[in-house]
Parts: sequence; structure tokens; C-alpha cells
Amino acid sequence: MRPISRRKFLCGVGGAALAIPFMDSLAMAATKPVVAKRMAHFYVPIGVVRRGFFPGEQDDIIPEGNLGDVMQSLGKQNPEFYVKRLESLTPTLRPLESIKSKVTLITGMDRTFQQGTDVHAQCACCFLSSAKPYTVQGTAWPLNRTLDHIVADQVGTKTPFPTLEFSCNNHRDNKESIYFDNISWYGTGHLAPSIRDPRQMYQRLFSTQETRRNRDVTDLVLEDARSLKRKLGQADQHKFGEYFESIRAIEKQMDRLEMMRSELNKVAFEEPTEAYMPRGDYIRLMGDLMVVALQTGLTNVATFMVGPERWDTPYMFDGLFDKPRSHHQMSHNQTNTIDDLLKIDEFHMQQYAYLLNQLDQIQEADGTTLLDNTLFTYGSGLGDGSTHQYNDLPIVVGGGGHRVKSGMHINMPEGTPLANLWLTQAKLLGLEISEFADSTDVVSAMLA
Amino acid sequence: MPIGAVITTLVILGFAITSPIDAQDTATDFIRASIKTYCGQCHEGEDAATERDFSTLSFQEADLDAEVLQSLIKVLELREMPPQESPQLDPQARQRLIEELRQLEQRAAQNATFPPTPIRRLNRFQYNNAVVDLFDLKCVVFTLPERIMREHHGYFKPASGKMADVVTVGSRPLGKSQLIEPRLAGVAAFPQDLRAENGFDNRGDHLSLSPLLMESFLKLGHSITESKDFVPQNIGIWNQFFEPPKEEKKPTEVMRNRIRWFLRRAFRRPPAEATVDRYVDYAKRQIAEGEEFSAVMKKLASVAISSPKFLYLYAEQEGESKNATESQPLNDFDLATRLSFFLWGSIPDDTLLTLAEQSRLSDRTILEQQVQRMLRDPKVKRFCDSFPAQWLQLERIISSTPDPERYPEFYFLKYRKSMHMMLEPLLLFETVLIEDLPITQFIDSDFTYRSKLLEQSYVKLTNPDPPKPPDHGPVTVLNFHRVPVNDRRAGGVITNAAVMTMTSGSEETKPITRGAWVAAVIFNDPPEPPPADVPVLPEHASGNEVDLTLRERFALHRTRADCRACHQKIDPFGFALENYDAIGEWRSQYENLRSIDTSGKLFQEHAFDDVIGFKDALLAEKDRFAKGFAGHLLSFAVARELGPADQSVLDSITEASVTDDYRIQSIILQVVLSEPFLTVTNSLDEVSGQ
Repeated sequence: MRPISRRKFLCGVGGAALAIPFMDSLAMAATKPVVAKRMAHFYVPIGVVRRGFFPGEQDDIIPEGNLGDVMQSLGKQNPEFYVKRLESLTPTLRPLESIKSKVTLITGMDRTFQQGTDVHAQCACCFLSSAKPYTVQGTAWPLNRTLDHIVADQVGTKTPFPTLEFSCNNHRDNKESIYFDNISWYGTGHLAPSIRDPRQMYQRLFSTQETRRNRDVTDLVLEDARSLKRKLGQADQHKFGEYFESIRAIEKQMDRLEMMRSELNKVAFEEPTEAYMPRGDYIRLMGDLMVVALQTGLTNVATFMVGPERWDTPYMFDGLFDKPRSHHQMSHNQTNTIDDLLKIDEFHMQQYAYLLNQLDQIQEADGTTLLDNTLFTYGSGLGDGSTHQYNDLPIVVGGGGHRVKSGMHINMPEGTPLANLWLTQAKLLGLEISEFADSTDVVSAMLA
Repeated sequence: MPIGAVITTLVILGFAITSPIDAQDTATDFIRASIKTYCGQCHEGEDAATERDFSTLSFQEADLDAEVLQSLIKVLELREMPPQESPQLDPQARQRLIEELRQLEQRAAQNATFPPTPIRRLNRFQYNNAVVDLFDLKCVVFTLPERIMREHHGYFKPASGKMADVVTVGSRPLGKSQLIEPRLAGVAAFPQDLRAENGFDNRGDHLSLSPLLMESFLKLGHSITESKDFVPQNIGIWNQFFEPPKEEKKPTEVMRNRIRWFLRRAFRRPPAEATVDRYVDYAKRQIAEGEEFSAVMKKLASVAISSPKFLYLYAEQEGESKNATESQPLNDFDLATRLSFFLWGSIPDDTLLTLAEQSRLSDRTILEQQVQRMLRDPKVKRFCDSFPAQWLQLERIISSTPDPERYPEFYFLKYRKSMHMMLEPLLLFETVLIEDLPITQFIDSDFTYRSKLLEQSYVKLTNPDPPKPPDHGPVTVLNFHRVPVNDRRAGGVITNAAVMTMTSGSEETKPITRGAWVAAVIFNDPPEPPPADVPVLPEHASGNEVDLTLRERFALHRTRADCRACHQKIDPFGFALENYDAIGEWRSQYENLRSIDTSGKLFQEHAFDDVIGFKDALLAEKDRFAKGFAGHLLSFAVARELGPADQSVLDSITEASVTDDYRIQSIILQVVLSEPFLTVTNSLDEVSGQ
């Protein structure tokens, strides 16, 4: 992989230079080094070519055209549970070769599609929610507060950002609705907006501009609030107190961030420019920002969408094809484009592998690596872009250190809800819950 | 209730009472005796039914409670009480009791005040509209799934007074890609505000602010003006506000005027000069730091829409009026805001603000003209996007999932037929509004709008064994045609497929749910929720109940007296609709081949045998429906729950609407001209308790 100059923050890759001051102060506060548990999800849109990804399916029939009504595999999967060592990797998984001892391939996980929306509409937005179908009132989506926020409610209370949402959707058109472009939701109809622009993300993480802007705003609106209050009847004055309280809470939060800023100033991460970047560089730059945010304690929980669901607009996959290509349209035309689609799948896997390696090169205060303390999961909401199946999803769980068994291929018995994995992850992050969404059990095979 | 105390004060001061003492005594004695005889069996003592103990009511002038009296009058008028199996008042005694109670009620209501509408933030729907209007945006801010119907190709033309015969629409919550539309990239909506129980999503007591929400408002304001779609061609007011001024002389003066102009729009009243100063200082500071003019104005705009003066709806109170216990007239600016949020779901336009500045908006003639103008403005679509769906509780159809094995025809591809169903009552509403038709069309319309697919839901009315339909048709842009309704079993908002489906379970109809819906929606009289210890009737009949009809099974299970009273009221509504199955299709018998008994009596008075007779009965009570409808409108208009003092207002609105043939626009006008709409009331007791 080509090195990128912007990865300057990693100037001391593998060395102590990356023990950021913030971590030092934490380490000083406690006698034993305290290392936070983190969690991140890497979402791949529009499924994968099953022949390239899944062991044993290399000779299965290639779906022809758009089989939107099929919603199940054309080939046969083993319905029985088994665990084996992850040895020879399928073509799409091959980028994981160097780090395969720290990842586990999980096959056979399913979700339930809720009748009433387009087949793509629930892929991404309900991926980390998997609510029991038809239980969320007043909406056609089985969409609830997503796993990242439920976990952050517990492990994100001390960090300046409870969660961070990254997206590598740099399309300039608003072709699709919010349900196609977001995997992170505070709750039904309330999305956690992602940042797509590396400059904007950089500023959110490292610049003092936003805080200063907010201070200016709070000063002005507070004065408006005072003059408004004078014109209110007594009961209204009382209720209007909520506005002052809310502004005060925000100011407190800005104070916390500012205290940390002075330490963050020591992080050497070059501010991204507005110049065009090839798609791979852009994804990796967004990824580097995620890694540094997890490393420095700006957040413990992140979601990362490598691309939006459906969205017909072509992308330039620099280095793969000469012309911009539409991933979605290709997925409906596998008989003609399967070789190119496999390249896209491999390309996405390369980016995931890159981030796994980055996480694994950062040493933490207790001698483990950042990857060891992060559950970093690759997954897609579809098992195949043509059949639009919600079952037999492609899932790889990376990291987790001694808490999990790695280097395995786990095949879950037919009908195992994906939410079982999310429940397992929530428990690994320290949540004391016994169910999540439509979960039925934990994935005990992955627990050490 | 403070009413009693107020009256006592008046008595001591020798103001109020004019009725002769002995006449009043006789009346009071009569009331007390009647109540004791006919209600005492259940409604006396500590364990009185539904916690209504009438033995404590003196019916003396000093402690009249309008709410209690209104509920007594209501149950007597509707013959809900005494229960059928108890001794009944003879008709004359009933009539006299009602009249005596009404006299007391009017005296009590005279002194009752309107409930206050608390200060409240904009809801998500209003925020979107207000931002669109403030900047004159050429796209939406964010997409709102709660706007159920998507308009395609601009069929909605209120100024024409005529709805097109063919309209192209889409279903936002269930239709394919209906949430995709030109919007501001990078702007994320805050959470949807939920409808109050039997109410609307604009209710003052439901809309509050939290730090999390405030933070999202701050971010939202910024993300709007910093969106890459916030460019001159999308912003109608770009040249008036954001474009750097051409003339070099007095740039500060230009900026100052622009800011004053903008803040007047955003804050819906002319800003105080001190406020203008603060915003101008902010802009000057930014410019001094080297920021470019348009960028500074964008920042300023983003601050203004985070200001409570934009985000909050409230009525200003000056001096003495702050502590007044009586309702005070709204000032003209607050009236303009109330009016525009009622009919446009958004900020007032320049015409309304200018009239307010001239103190002319509250002039009755001008107010009438403005209501007429607003009803012809395309912005009245926002009213159609919020009021009818909430009034009809249509969001319930989104979650309806009939059993796919039993009702396979409900499903096609990955979609549900409800995608089409939900649009029918909404198009009926829009037509009634645009064409200013009588609201009786909601009960029994002579036309409706249907798609080809939706026609299938009604085909069994004429052919009990229809052939298989050829095709499900498109899933994106749906064509709906205006068709005459000659068969009165169809038409109106009650017997359409959407309402019949959403008030059913997945396998069977739910007559009680349907009855409760009719009571709440048509008569604005929602039943109390059932006691918690009542078991639900199992969906499948078992044992010796297999051969019974649903009505017989219910009767078997309904043995408790306290249940019976309420069910006597709502059950006839629901059982009248039993010919419509769980997906709204006509059936003439149950699956166990028993025939369907739809007969009943509306308010124990109007007997009917079938659904056409039921509609006739409803039409015979159209004044009650009109009052119910006016109540829904008023509650939506003043953003609060109605109280006892509002009841006589609703009576007057209903009376006035009769003379205009129950036309919807005249009811809307009457709501605007009503006292609760034109006044503001302080809530004082709430604070003293804190």
C-alpha cells in the first residue's frame, strides 16, 4: 500500500511518540494503566459477490440481473454451526492475510427484512439496530437507537465526543434519502449525522474554531433569551428556563473540550487540504482521523461508512477502472461485471485491512495495541447485491485482544440473528444487558 | 378549581347573582334528587364507579364546576347514562334535568378561563417550514417522513378553488424513494415530535427543550447556512441579504438595514434597536477579522435561527397583563404568528407583519380577508400535511401488517397496499378544503380519489368473488383519479380501506378499536382507556366460542358494570363497521359462515341496521360532528388541550357553521374569530406551586 504523507501524525509509528499527553495524564492518575475499551464498525454498502467472499461458494451460480424479489442465496450454505481456524483466505478476504490472526470471519448471520420499504432502504440504517420487526410504531423501518449509541451511553460519557460518525460518501448530489446514508441513529427518525469531509472532521477534532463560534452564538442568543424572558408571563418564564439550562450545559461541554484541546495541540496531524484525492487516499485519510480520535480519547465509539447504500451515481475508483462506475448498478449486472465487482469488494477489504494494521501499530499504555482494545467490525447489510438477501451476511470481527478468540471462521447455525453479535459486542464493552434488538443469544464461540 | 373561589368573591362583593333565590333552590333540589335517584346506586361513596362520587356535589352556586356539569350534561344528552339496564328517567324529567344543569353550567363557564398555551419551541415540521420561508429556499431543509403524502407535478392549486381530476402523488413512509427530494445536503433533522394522545404534535405542553436538542439546534443553524446547497440560486433572499452591497457609501448603514429587515422576518416582529445593535456588532467584529460579507451574513443568519426569538412560539405580555387572571387580547404580531402557524405551519409573511405593524390585523374585516387569502395560498399545503393525518390518526396505518397468509392481496413486491390506502382520506380532505365543501363529506362523500390498485380494495362491494387483479402498478409515482361514489358503503373518512385496516388486528377486525376511533375522531370524545385488569379477548375463538360471532363473544366477556357503560357508547360505532374486514374489504358474513349483525343505536336514539343507516345516523347528529371537528381544529390552532371554557365557544362555532352549510372554510374562519384564538391567558397557579 502506498504511504500517504498526511499520515504524519503517525510520525512515531510503533513508538512512544504516540503516547499522547492525554494518555499520560490518565496513566499518572492511576497506578495501573487504564486502557479504554473501544468499538468501531466499518460498513460496506450493497453486499458482496458471494463467490469471492464466502468460503465454499466459489462455484455457486452467478445471480443474473436484479433479483430483488429473491432475497436468499442462490447457492447452498451449511446450516450447521461450526468453528475452524481461518487458514486459506478467499480472494476477497486476501488483504487480511498479514493480520488474520487478529480477525474472525463470521458467516451465517441473518437479519429480518420488514415488509413495507424498498429492499435497500433497511440495509444500512437498520444494520446496527436490527429491531424486532414491526415493533417500532409509526415507521416502516425496524429502526431503533443503534448499537454505537447504546454502547456510548456507557463508555462514552467521559470523552468529549460520545461517538463519531465517519462517512466516505463524497457524492455531490442528494440522490438518496437519509436512510441510505446513515448507519448511526440516536433513535427512530433521529439520525446521528456523519461527517464526510476530512477537513470538517479535522476541524471538529482539532480546531478551536467551532468552540469559538459556539461561544459567539451562545453570547448573542443568551441576550435574546434575557430580553424575551422579560416579555413573558410567570408560568412561561418558568418553562423558558429550559433554554438557559440547555445553553449552560452546552457551555460546560465546550469547557471540557477546551481543557483537552491544549493537550491535543501536541498531536501532529496535518490539516487536510481541499485538493482532490483518489478514492483510496480519501478513505484512508478519513480512517486515519478515526484512528487518531480513538487513540487520543476524543471518543471510544465510531462508525465508518465506506460508501452509501444504493446511490446510482458513479464513483471514480482510482486505480481500479478508467471511468467512474456505479457500484449499485454493477451489483445488478453480475453476469457481466463480476470481475470488476470483485475488484471493488477487494478494494473495500484493503481499506479495512489498512485500518486494522494502523490500529495494531499503536501501542497503548499497558503494552497492548489499540486494535487489541478495539472491536473493529467489517460488515454489510446485504448478503448479495443482486438477490438483496438479508441473510448470510458478510461479517469480519477484528481486534478485541485477549477477550476474544481470533483467527477463526465461525459459521452460525441457520437463522442466527445478527443482533446476537451486537449483543456479544455490547457485553464485551461492559454493558450488562441480556438482549439487544431481536437477539436470541450471544455468539459464545468468539468469546475467549 | 379556582372558579368556585372567584364566584364566592363575586357573591361577597354583591356583583353577580341575579337569579331569584327560591327558584334556584327548587332547581337545585330537583337536580340533587334526580341525581341521587338515578345515579346514586353507582356514584355515591368512596368506591363510586369510575371514581365519580356525586354525593359530594352540592350544585350550589359557590362550587359549580363547569367540567363536571359538562360531563353530566353530555352523558344525559347522549343517553350514555343511566346505563340501559338501570331505571331510566322519563323523557320530560331527563329534558328538565339537562336544561337545569345547562343553566348552571353556563353560569360556571362564564367565569371559567381558557387554559393557557405555554411557550413552546417549534416542532420539527414547523422548523423546516419556517426556515424555508425565512430564506425563501427553493428546496426543503430536511425530508420529513411524517408528511405522509408526496406531491408530484404540482397538482395542489388552492387559488383555483378546484382539485384536479387526476393527481400524481406518492406515499412517503411506504413508497419507493419518496423521501428523496431537493434538500440541503449535510443538514440532519432533529427527532420527530410525537402527536399528543388524542391531540396534535404542536401541543405546547409536549414541546420542550433539552441540552442535547439545543446543541443540535446550534449545529443545525450552522449546518444550514454552511450547506453546499446554500447557494444564491437556492436562496430567494440572497440578493436582499447575503449579496455584498454594490454601493460603497455607508456600508454599515446598508448592513444595519438588512439585519433589521432579516430579524423582523425571523423574530416575527420588529426587533428592538438594542437587539439590532448586538447583531450588527457581531457582524462588524467578523468583518474586522477579515471575513467576507456573504460569509458574515450567513453566520449571522445561523445565529438568528438558534435564537429563542426564532425557535420559540409565545405571546408577549406587557406590564399589568403579566399577572392578569383573565384572557387578554393577543397583540397583532402574536396574532399574525398564531394565524400563520395555524394555516401555514410557518412564520407570517410580509403582508401579515405589515398589517400587524399598522395594528390593523385584529380588525375583524381585515382578519377575515387574510384568512381567505391564506387559504388560497399554496402554503396552506402545510396545513394539509399536518392537520388531517393527525386528526385521522393516519400514522397508525404505517404499522399495520395484516397476516400475509390470510391477506396475501395486501402485499406486492416488498410493499404493502397501505401505501395507496393512506392517500385516499388525505386527498378527500384536500379537496374538501380547496373546494370549500361541507364537512359532512367526511362522513358520506359523493366522490373520492383512488388509484387502480386501490380500486381493488372496493371491488368486493359489487362482486364478492372478483377475478385476480392483473398488476400492482407503480410503486413510486401513483396516479389517483377522482371517481364518483354512488354506493354509500364507500366514501368519507370512516369506511375507507386505510381506517378500516389500521383499526384492525393482523387477523381480525377490532370493533372496539374502531368504535374508539369513531368516538375520538368523529365526535372528539375519546373513551377512557380500559381498566388495567381487563383481559384482552383472544384473537382466535376456541372451545364452545368457535361458532359465535365477534359480537356474541364480546357480550359474553363483558360482564362488568363499569365496562358496560363505556362499551354501550363505543361498541355500536365499531360493530356498525363489521362488514369491512381487516384490510377494509367488504364481506357479508364471517368466516364461520355466521351472518354479520351491524345493527345498533347511535346515542341510544338513532337506530340503524347497516352501515348506510349508520351514516344516516351520523348525519342526523351532524351538529355533534361539526362541534367535534371544530374542537380538533381549535385545539390544533391554539396548540393546547381544550378546557371547559372552550365548550361554549365550540357551540357558537357550530351554530355559525350551520348557516353556511357546514362549509369547512367557514368553520376555519369561525375558529380564527373565536375568543380563545384571539386571546392569551396566563397560567398563574402552576408557578406558585413550584
